[in-house]
Amino acid sequence: MTKTSLRNWRDRGLLKTLQTATILGVAFAATASSAFAAGTLRIGMTASDIPLTTGQTDQGGEGQRFMGYTVYNSLIEWDLSKADKPSVLIPSLATSWTVDPADQTKWTFKLRDGVKFHDGSVFNADAVVWNLDKLLKTDAPQFDQRQSAQGKSRIPAVASYKAIDPTTVEIVTKSPDATLPYQISWILMSSPANWEAQGKSWDKVAQHPSGTGPWKMESGFTPRERAELTPNKDYWDATRMPKLDKLVLIPLPEPNTRVAALRSGQVDWIEAPAPDSVKSLKDAGFAIVTNAYPHNWTWHLSRVEGSPWNDVRVRKAANLAVDRDGLNELLGGLSIPAQGYLPPGHQWFGKPDFKLEYNVEEAKKLMAEAGYGPDKPITTKVVISSSGSGQMLPLAMNEYIQQTLAEIGINVEYEVMDWNTVINVWRAGAKDASAKGATAVNYSYFIQDPFTALIRQSQCNLAPPNGTNWGYYCDPEMDALFNKVRTTFDAAEQDKVLQQVHEKYVNEALFLMVTHDVNPRAMTTKVKGFVQAQNWFQDFSPITVDP
Amino acid sequence: MAAITADIVPAPIAVPRSPGFWSGVLHRLCRDPVALAALAVLIVIVAIAILAPYIAPYDPTKGSVIRRLKPIGTEGYFLGTDELGRDMLSRLIYGARLSLIMGVVPVPIAFVIGSIIGIVAGYAGGLTNTLIMRTVDVFYAFPSVLLAVALSGALGSGLTNALVSLTVVFIPQIARVAESVTTQIRSLDYVDAARASGAPAFTIIRVHVLGNVLGPIFVFATSLISVSMILASGLSFLGLGVRPPDAEWGLMLNTLRTAIYNNPAVAALPGVMIFVTSICFNLFSDGLRQAMDVKS
Amino acid sequence: MLVYALKRLLHVIPVAIGVSIVCFMLIHIAPGDPLAAILPTDASLELQAQMRSFYGLDQPLPLQYALWAWHALRGDLGTSIATGRPVLAEILSASVNSIILAVAATLIGFTFGSILGFIAGVFRGGWIDRIASGLAMLGVSVPHYWLGMVLVIAFSVSLGWLPSMGGGPGGSDGRSFSWDYIQYLILPAVTMSVIPMGIIARTIRSLVADILSQDFVQALAAKGLMTKHVMRHVIRNAAPTAISVMGLQLGYLLGGSILIETVFSWPGTGSLLNGAIFTRDLPILQGTILVLAMFFVFVNLVVDVLQSAIDPRIQRS
Repeated sequence: MTKTSLRNWRDRGLLKTLQTATILGVAFAATASSAFAAGTLRIGMTASDIPLTTGQTDQGGEGQRFMGYTVYNSLIEWDLSKADKPSVLIPSLATSWTVDPADQTKWTFKLRDGVKFHDGSVFNADAVVWNLDKLLKTDAPQFDQRQSAQGKSRIPAVASYKAIDPTTVEIVTKSPDATLPYQISWILMSSPANWEAQGKSWDKVAQHPSGTGPWKMESGFTPRERAELTPNKDYWDATRMPKLDKLVLIPLPEPNTRVAALRSGQVDWIEAPAPDSVKSLKDAGFAIVTNAYPHNWTWHLSRVEGSPWNDVRVRKAANLAVDRDGLNELLGGLSIPAQGYLPPGHQWFGKPDFKLEYNVEEAKKLMAEAGYGPDKPITTKVVISSSGSGQMLPLAMNEYIQQTLAEIGINVEYEVMDWNTVINVWRAGAKDASAKGATAVNYSYFIQDPFTALIRQSQCNLAPPNGTNWGYYCDPEMDALFNKVRTTFDAAEQDKVLQQVHEKYVNEALFLMVTHDVNPRAMTTKVKGFVQAQNWFQDFSPITVDP
Repeated sequence: MAAITADIVPAPIAVPRSPGFWSGVLHRLCRDPVALAALAVLIVIVAIAILAPYIAPYDPTKGSVIRRLKPIGTEGYFLGTDELGRDMLSRLIYGARLSLIMGVVPVPIAFVIGSIIGIVAGYAGGLTNTLIMRTVDVFYAFPSVLLAVALSGALGSGLTNALVSLTVVFIPQIARVAESVTTQIRSLDYVDAARASGAPAFTIIRVHVLGNVLGPIFVFATSLISVSMILASGLSFLGLGVRPPDAEWGLMLNTLRTAIYNNPAVAALPGVMIFVTSICFNLFSDGLRQAMDVKS
Repeated sequence: MLVYALKRLLHVIPVAIGVSIVCFMLIHIAPGDPLAAILPTDASLELQAQMRSFYGLDQPLPLQYALWAWHALRGDLGTSIATGRPVLAEILSASVNSIILAVAATLIGFTFGSILGFIAGVFRGGWIDRIASGLAMLGVSVPHYWLGMVLVIAFSVSLGWLPSMGGGPGGSDGRSFSWDYIQYLILPAVTMSVIPMGIIARTIRSLVADILSQDFVQALAAKGLMTKHVMRHVIRNAAPTAISVMGLQLGYLLGGSILIETVFSWPGTGSLLNGAIFTRDLPILQGTILVLAMFFVFVNLVVDVLQSAIDPRIQRS
């Protein structure tokens, strides 16, 4: 059936029921993608600029999503092909990795053979070493401060590395650390030959990048306005060959501008539509795609002396006084009410005893046991942001929490700061003057791997200035669990330890656990074949766009 | 936006005022129905702001997510509810307070500081004048929006910071007007004579200068209030003004922005309030200027 | 005339130095750490210290200024913290877009403003004056970023006639004098033009009214000569002021485009500035404000000199 005939048929109004339309639409899309050009996908990002194009991206998770795993590859990547379960690590430029049983700091990575960069040069072990030097070795000629700022802190475990043969790399960690594969998954490989060809200038590389990824950026890059990616026809993984003709990235930080751009047909897809625009977008015939992903929205509680949160009864009471369903309503249904620190169904969730529900009576009882009540309330201060990446609707949500906490005798005052200032406060720790005496900070965590998810905020020796244990929480039992995580090299066994960690997180109500974002995206119904993985990152290869 | 300053106010002319001048102004003003109507609206808005706790039907900071974004005319919520289910009418009423404070307060402060700077510079003349006025020129060399955004952006959000930024924006504009009028007055024969007779500078300023200078500066300053209202709301819109949950029209416009597709009428209300207040200040200022312009 | 121009130029130099000092100091009155923006959320303290020294943020203040001013004079405004691209290049490419927008808005504003003002001035006091002046008053009283949002909903979202955002079909790089490109300009330029329209209308109205109430014009009118001759007189006398107001408006719009550019994602200096404030990108913030303020100083100078050339009686101090 040709395109025209279908359109005519549709115009005659023969397709009445939604179901038929959908089935036929899908069938049509499948044929169209092989018979016709598969179209151009224009995406409105929330970032205010095109992420760094030279390799290691900036702009947080969004940068890695659109400019990282598209143009580049890492040794290890996430399996983004499934929507129904959390994604796991899979081989990419490395085909396998093993740790030396005798010396658990020594890792061997076997590299994929025959992979070429977009400029035609060969990817090998030297390229891996060259790329790690780019981030870690300040006196290397290819050292790039900007990429280093983004990449160095992703691989804290790495002590040294060397090429054994063209397809084998050895990495030695500072101490046994089973989380190394997660760390390595951040590190993207840019082409050494291309850097030479661009006169050893990263600024020039930014205009003419070269990676090994499924997408190339050859032209059409206007800083702050747009970047055009085209398929890499020689991609090493034929199953991930992009079907689209072109992927256009447009930075649109302002939520209303994103919605207007989608509705006026200037883009086909927008990231993070504001909850209040979702209904109108649905009414106007746009698809809203959501899925769980490893993100949480919490109050990180201070455990410094004098903080009311040192009493587990107060922590539990507060957790019972958050109307998570009400917040979900506020967010237009675009959230997953928290049942723990990690999203429900996560492989490390375990079976915590403490249930996060909205139970004001129980909360009041706990408060009374702790010696507080409506006539003797706790008054405390919390640092929150006005808006920011992963922060959802911080002002509205915190105002609502403020209302319900007041019911059980916790009077909260907010110190509203901009997101970057909040990040600074969070880095400096609860004892620092910048916290202005606050006993909690509202933070949204990227919780994709064991270190970023659970360890960095709760290990004793990661309290500021050594790390980001903002609240100075310290529990030898927890530290023992963390050590076990690092030294358990069997993935399934490691998961079990991580479940114990999470159970402890929830049972002791270490955080005020509120909600999880669902990473909403709005797109036209012409976008076909997108599978939203339960991940910060997504695969754009299978997507097609109807004309 | 702040370009509505020196450009549209004709250079104030320092004509010595007769004793009956102000009653004449009042008389002429009373015959200008537009200015009177604008004044009446402004008085109502100010009264609403002052009486907010008595007339607002609900607490402006208490909401419920169940009844959020109700349309205008919902029973019990005459003007609907905002994105947190707070009563729009109550928020607009309370919003008048901070909006007026943010929009109006910088002008009288700048009026006092700017007038002092301008009068001192104009009266002293010579090197003092040059030093002061060159400094003023530096700040005057920034477009108002740019200066306000730059200062607020640097200082961070918050009511005080916004007030400081706006005041700094208006001081040089008022100082320039004050200086030019004072310089004209100073060169008038009888002021010269008073100086020659050895009268103290303070007395001369009080008797001869102030009476003639304040009028034109005052008219100029009233025209700045509408500019200030719009600038202030713009700062709030960019997230550089008042902090939530306080009600302020610019901020309400900002936070309601995402609801503009669901409930455009409610989302537009704060904009309407800014618009109405700003235009009334403009109309009144126009009327006042006409009433003070002896020629017409 | 030449002497006056030179005098004005000399006068501008200290102002320009003052402006640069203000621009520089703005950044240092700011609370908070500029480094937060460029580092990942879990950056170590060593890394922070390293970045701090890389950007010279640990030098004493006067030294930082001297270095910065010296570089600025040679056209080097540093490197953007957020993007790593040269600041001057960023500002120049953004400026082209802002100038296009500001010129378009000024032209629209001037055309409609002049017509409104002229009509109001000629029919001063009557109901036509009321309507025309009222329209001009709306222009200066409306929060224009709000007007922009309303126009987007009406013309882009509901009617689908015009694009809602962006600098052109392929970004501003594909700039061309064709409908494909110009359609992107219309909504932001019209929104922006309401301010100069209001101001120019009000200026022209009062100029025209003043000229028409002069005794000899009244006398001419009484003789029934209220015709071409009188009109030519009016236009000739109103033109210098009108043109100078227009010049200043161009400067104001360039400096004050942040709200409009934000609402329309117009890739100009306003968006650049908004982004720089948001990400605390100091070099970009400093550079953009400096360039815009200097441009404004320059426009002022040109307007003054031009005005005195047209009408030697007006020589502003």
